Amino acid sequence: MRIKPRHTQQPVIPTSSMADIAFLLIVFFMVTVTFEKDRTQVVLPKTDLRKEIEKDVAYISVTENGVIRVTSGEEVSTPVDIADVVSFASNVVSQFPGRPIVIKADANVDYEKVDKVIDSLKQAKVKLIYLLSDQKTVDSGGDG
Amino acid sequence: MRISRTTPEPEIPTSSMADIAFLLIVYFMLTATFAATRGLDFSLPEDDENQQTEIEPDDAVLIEIQPGGQVMVDKKPMEIGDQILEYLAPKLQNNPKKPVIIKPDAKSPYGYMVRVFDLLRQGKLIERQLIWRSKFPEISKEQWEGGKDLNISIPTQREIDAFWY
Repeated sequence: MRIKPRHTQQPVIPTSSMADIAFLLIVFFMVTVTFEKDRTQVVLPKTDLRKEIEKDVAYISVTENGVIRVTSGEEVSTPVDIADVVSFASNVVSQFPGRPIVIKADANVDYEKVDKVIDSLKQAKVKLIYLLSDQKTVDSGGDG
Repeated sequence: MRISRTTPEPEIPTSSMADIAFLLIVYFMLTATFAATRGLDFSLPEDDENQQTEIEPDDAVLIEIQPGGQVMVDKKPMEIGDQILEYLAPKLQNNPKKPVIIKPDAKSPYGYMVRVFDLLRQGKLIERQLIWRSKFPEISKEQWEGGKDLNISIPTQREIDAFWY
């Protein structure tokens, strides 16, 4: 008896679930995304102790050249003069009471720049600040 | 004559759906920032002239950071690390609230101040405390608990000019 040749199926890659996977990833990224208010590139100091910083914070960034940028957390950061940091911090304190201010300063900047910023924050009666840092790793332990 | 047409099954074109989705993924991946928001917390003291407590220089541990990054603890050069902690431990044994003053030079890199501050704050970590306790068995657990919150102050240049003597 002769067996009929089987009807051979075209080989296909199942792509129907691809969109499902992709949308799942999209949802993940949408939930976890926080748009950076301050995109200043700095070399952060490295520390062992790193505390989670809440989402609603104001940023003050100090680059290696001493350029200071500020944002209250609501808009994109703008460069300011050191003398204007007090008024900026006072605005943050009055508009968003209890909002911490994050100092994002380059590890190689002269301390006097950061000193003036911290002094301005003290004058503006800021209660809590954070010093933004990177995770210290074993091989990076030596440098500042 | 009758023309027999084969009616195609109605279907929604989904083949480009994945393309659109992956495009969105790429966008969100590029704009996402992860774990960049961690750092050292630092409570600023009230800038209140009435509350300024006078500290005798002898009562405090003074950590100076020189322009090159060299660290001087009570005028003695030290490495940032266990050396400083070992120096501090017996001093804090009697008085856990002994003020530790970090005084970075105006020209010293900011990173060194953060490293020293980080080092002192780690005194809170249990592992570090256990290491200390093995080195200083005479210190009781209660004293360690009391020493958890070191009294660290980082005076600004303006405060130094106004109050330092």
